[in-house]
Amino acid sequence: MKRDPTLGGETVEALEARSPFRFPREMVIGLLVLAVAWQILSLFVPPFIVPGWERIFGSLVTLRMDFVLITLARVVVALVVSFVLGLGFAVLMYGSTRIERYGRPIVRLLMAVPVVCWILFAVLWFRWVEFRIAFVLVVVCAPVFLVDILDAMRGVSKDLRDMLRSFRPTHAQLFTKLVLPATLPVMLTSWKINLSLAIRVVTIAELVGAVTGIGYGLVVAQELFSVSEVFAWTLILVALLFAAEAVLTHVEERLLRWRV
Amino acid sequence: MAGVRGAGPIEVTGLRKVFHQTGTGEAVVAIERLDFVIQQGEMVAIVGQTGCGKSTFLNILIGLDRPTDGRVAVGGRAPYDDFDHFRGVLAAVFQQDRLLPWRTAVDNVRLPLELLGRDPGEQLARARAWLDRLGLGRFERAYPHELSGGMRQRVALARAFAVEPALLLADEAFGHLDEVTAAALRQTFVELARTEGNTAILVTHQLEEAIDMGGRILVFGRPGRLLADINLRTWPAASVASLRADIQRMLQDNAADPRFSPAAEEQA
Repeated sequence: MKRDPTLGGETVEALEARSPFRFPREMVIGLLVLAVAWQILSLFVPPFIVPGWERIFGSLVTLRMDFVLITLARVVVALVVSFVLGLGFAVLMYGSTRIERYGRPIVRLLMAVPVVCWILFAVLWFRWVEFRIAFVLVVVCAPVFLVDILDAMRGVSKDLRDMLRSFRPTHAQLFTKLVLPATLPVMLTSWKINLSLAIRVVTIAELVGAVTGIGYGLVVAQELFSVSEVFAWTLILVALLFAAEAVLTHVEERLLRWRV
Repeated sequence: MAGVRGAGPIEVTGLRKVFHQTGTGEAVVAIERLDFVIQQGEMVAIVGQTGCGKSTFLNILIGLDRPTDGRVAVGGRAPYDDFDHFRGVLAAVFQQDRLLPWRTAVDNVRLPLELLGRDPGEQLARARAWLDRLGLGRFERAYPHELSGGMRQRVALARAFAVEPALLLADEAFGHLDEVTAAALRQTFVELARTEGNTAILVTHQLEEAIDMGGRILVFGRPGRLLADINLRTWPAASVASLRADIQRMLQDNAADPRFSPAAEEQA
């Protein structure tokens, strides 16, 4: 791992671990450099290709913020359902190698299908738009939860398992006292991965058929050829993702404070 | 209190354990044949070189593994077959502390009491009492990564003793610690085991550790057979030095035996 001389020989990761709530100076400077470069570029390129920040922020204040809440609600509900399903099936497969032998290929198949195909299937199969979006999100995210959690359960240390078994726990105790807590770090990582995935997928799903949400907002902006509005929506999506990741990181720090 | 229920004698009869290597399926004998009896309340050290089946025997005794042939019975019951019968009866301390990293010291000590369904107040009181007894009262809220190796092993000891087991097992529990810490913990282990009246079995590859316990020594040779059964209580104090040399010679002769391949040692 490279050491950053500006941080006194300390790695960025080590510094963040030591003081997780410090001001993210490097990130802010990096983003500012990018923003300045963008603004300079906008001076030389027509605004319908690269709009300046004044145009983007001008569009930003005109956007329907209820669309942001709707998209966020769709993501959160779908992720909760995906997590419950992923965890449930992971527990089933963990409990029975026979179920896992039959289930794994199906999960692999689900994961191999491109998102755009799921969207098309949803449009063909379901009439209700909300259900279409939820279906696409769940079918994409639940297998990721399932595989991550199942692999983590399988990877629980044999030493710890033997230690606990020497005290004769019931199956439920073995699961709740060892397997679940040992899997928690992976669950949280899986939430982060799926959050990023869901925010990208929901936007695509909303492009087809929805009349609300950020994806719909993007379609409208594209139809009006309002490039600054497209960028404004993109900015919101990125900000949404950063904010959600920050919340998850905070939850992670609280729940996993036992880690070194 | 401890030992009131009593685990009964440990009877090992014609015990044999064979493992099959993954992939090749080749059979590797970990325990060739073991026959002995350990009486309730006895303190026994099992000594032998790496790969002589000590840990395999202990795993069978704990009930984590099943014998290929023969029988291990504690109070007439087989730990593997009558698994649940030994709930709260036996406790083990392993080479690594095996503490749950997400639990504090006190919560680790409480763990077996939670499994036994004890009252939460009693769990906490007893866990704290054992941590105090082992000199860790100030560290009850510390997570394992905040403790030294010796402190973690003391938490593991407290966890085992908190159950007040009738049968206490330690598998190379102090071998990886520095000699001063190991000696102190060993002494604590022996004292606590004696005070509580447990049957205590300490598996070790260190002869000094076995002699220090001052009870009975079972010398294991490769592949899992009994080379000697020595009771230090009846052994003349003057000849302990010669005993050490005798056991070392016995183990060296056993190690030099060409029948035991390195692969077999690894597997065992």
